[in-house]
Amino acid sequence: MQTVIDAHNVSKVYNADTIPVYAVNNVHLHLQKGEFTALVGPSGSGKTTLLNLIGGLDKPDSGNIIINGVDITTLSANELINFRLKNIGFVFQSFNLIPVLTAKENAEFILQLQKVHRKERIKRIEALFKQIGLSDKLNERPAKLSGGQQQRVAVARALASRPQFVLADEPTANLDSRSASNLLDIMARLNKEEGITFLFSTHDQRVIDRARRVITLVDGQISNDTAAVPVTHEAPVSTEKS
Amino acid sequence: MIIQMAWRNIWRNKMRSIAIALSVAIGLFAGLSVLALYKGMMKSRIRTVIDSETGHLQIHHPEFKKDYDPQYLLSDPQKWLSDILFFNTIKAVAVRTVTQAMLATPTGSAGVQVNGVDPETENKVSLLKDKIHWGNGFTGKKKNEALIGKKLADKMKLKPGSKLVLTFTDTASDLVSAAFRVAGIYQTENVPLDERNVYVNRNDLNELLNINGSFHEIAILLNRGEDLALAKRQLQERFPSFLVESWKEISPETELMVSTMDYYMYIIIGIIMLALAFGIINTMLMAILERTREIGMMVALGMNKLRLFLMVLLETVLLTITGTPPGLLAAWLATDYYNKKGIDISSFAGDTMSSFGFSSMIYPEFPRPELFTVMMIVVMTALLSCIFPAAKAGRLQPVEALRK
Ligand SMILES: Nc1ncnc2c1ncn2[C@@H]1O[C@H](COP(=O)(O)OP(=O)(O)O)[C@@H](O)[C@H]1O
Ligand SMILES: [Mg+2]
Repeated sequence: MQTVIDAHNVSKVYNADTIPVYAVNNVHLHLQKGEFTALVGPSGSGKTTLLNLIGGLDKPDSGNIIINGVDITTLSANELINFRLKNIGFVFQSFNLIPVLTAKENAEFILQLQKVHRKERIKRIEALFKQIGLSDKLNERPAKLSGGQQQRVAVARALASRPQFVLADEPTANLDSRSASNLLDIMARLNKEEGITFLFSTHDQRVIDRARRVITLVDGQISNDTAAVPVTHEAPVSTEKS
Repeated sequence: MIIQMAWRNIWRNKMRSIAIALSVAIGLFAGLSVLALYKGMMKSRIRTVIDSETGHLQIHHPEFKKDYDPQYLLSDPQKWLSDILFFNTIKAVAVRTVTQAMLATPTGSAGVQVNGVDPETENKVSLLKDKIHWGNGFTGKKKNEALIGKKLADKMKLKPGSKLVLTFTDTASDLVSAAFRVAGIYQTENVPLDERNVYVNRNDLNELLNINGSFHEIAILLNRGEDLALAKRQLQERFPSFLVESWKEISPETELMVSTMDYYMYIIIGIIMLALAFGIINTMLMAILERTREIGMMVALGMNKLRLFLMVLLETVLLTITGTPPGLLAAWLATDYYNKKGIDISSFAGDTMSSFGFSSMIYPEFPRPELFTVMMIVVMTALLSCIFPAAKAGRLQPVEALRK
């Protein structure tokens, strides 16, 4: 299997001069193509920080992060922007969509930045919106969509650019349970049918149950990792949960 | 799509967008109005210079200007008049005998310039007759009639009918004195000029100076002000041994005034543009602050600084484009209205204006030739002002922006 994320000894310290907070502390992480992995842990355990580091939004204080063979800790700010655009799909907890653009334009926007041809853009977006079940909402502005619909559009947008993997920081945190399970259904199906690699953080047990691999963070350190398991329809057994 | 985003962003906060478009409109309006006022003032000042002071062109003996000595004479006025009127650029010609004199009354005395004129031709060139506000002017029936300016009349307590004595040197350097009677009091827009110039009949003056039939000065009015250079060249070629000068050379202080006013005008326009710049910087900064998370998200997704900068720039450009037509229209309507009606600034400028030779009635004139420049200045100001907010947007760190 192909390794897409390879992080070594990654640390991020906040307030280094006063009271240091080891938001991420000496983390090793390897992710294979096609994984469907949940990053779990209590609030403040460093999930967001770790995802930001892997996504090239933030720089670690030490360690290396190799994405698809490129050590992103060596890239300049501008190179990073370009790298993110081409390689990583993002779904944030909230505030995912540009309010002045329609659902379709939000997805198209990234493709335009990537200079994808118009015909190809439309083709990809229409296919994706079919998959997320929002073909009838293509021309709606985000304000007209429910929270769950917005997150689905965000997933479609993340996938439109055909990234190496999708990072999702608590994508269901602001959703009711039905919308949350609907979003997870879509993500799981895309993972299974299209082989899309997902790494998402959550502290929702129902979401954790859907993951095929669960990495648990405590105080910035990996306390448990169920490791990659082959594709099954059952949730993996976890020893950590209570 | 960036254009689309910029355009829709404008409509997100209508009040704010209207504020920016309005500042652009007001900036444009103010800039153009200042220019219009200035142009109107200059034009009327130049008209005053030409109509009541110099005419468009003057011809003198080459030495005359040096000391205004009455010996540098020209003669045969009829031949001069017909020779000059031969050119079709010329509207009217008048000849004058000019000398410096001491004016004395029982109240006091003052140095003046005495202009001996032929009333009929003079009225065509300097419109002297129209400026007489008290008394009848030259009747032609009596000898030694004089026209004096309002300012001098006030100072010397002279009224129509009052007597005054003029003393000057004749061509033989002998002192000559003669009594004149005030036939009229004139008033132009140029107070210093009114104070210095006394008009008498050329025949009377010539008799006293003992230079019958001669004169010193030819004042020429053109059909069109634009022909100034052409007419000057024509006359200089026709009369190579005489000095032909345009009003610009005769009245260099007017040129100086124009350039001084230029300077003030640029300062005023500069202040207006500064206000506009601050308005735009402030408003665009607020717009960006409000969208911190959104911008952070766009940067996270892979929108680079250049594109972000472009988006903010485009928003400002679109607002500037929106604000331009109303500003132009307002300036045009206002200048058009006041161009016909005139603005009387005597109530707050008092006599200051006329002591510099300016009319207190201003007829603003739409600055058509400068329109493009003014528009460019406004647009450049708007664009420069958004550089700072745009740079601020470009510096946003996505991680921090998203955590907010
Ligand atoms: N910008 C920051 N400055 C200082 N401390 C921070 C900052 N961001 C996060 N932290 C700290 O780092 C730790 C990990 O935070 P975070 O990654 O947000 O955790 P999680 O996403 O699991 O809730 C927390 O203790 C948080 O207070
Ligand atoms: Mg978090």
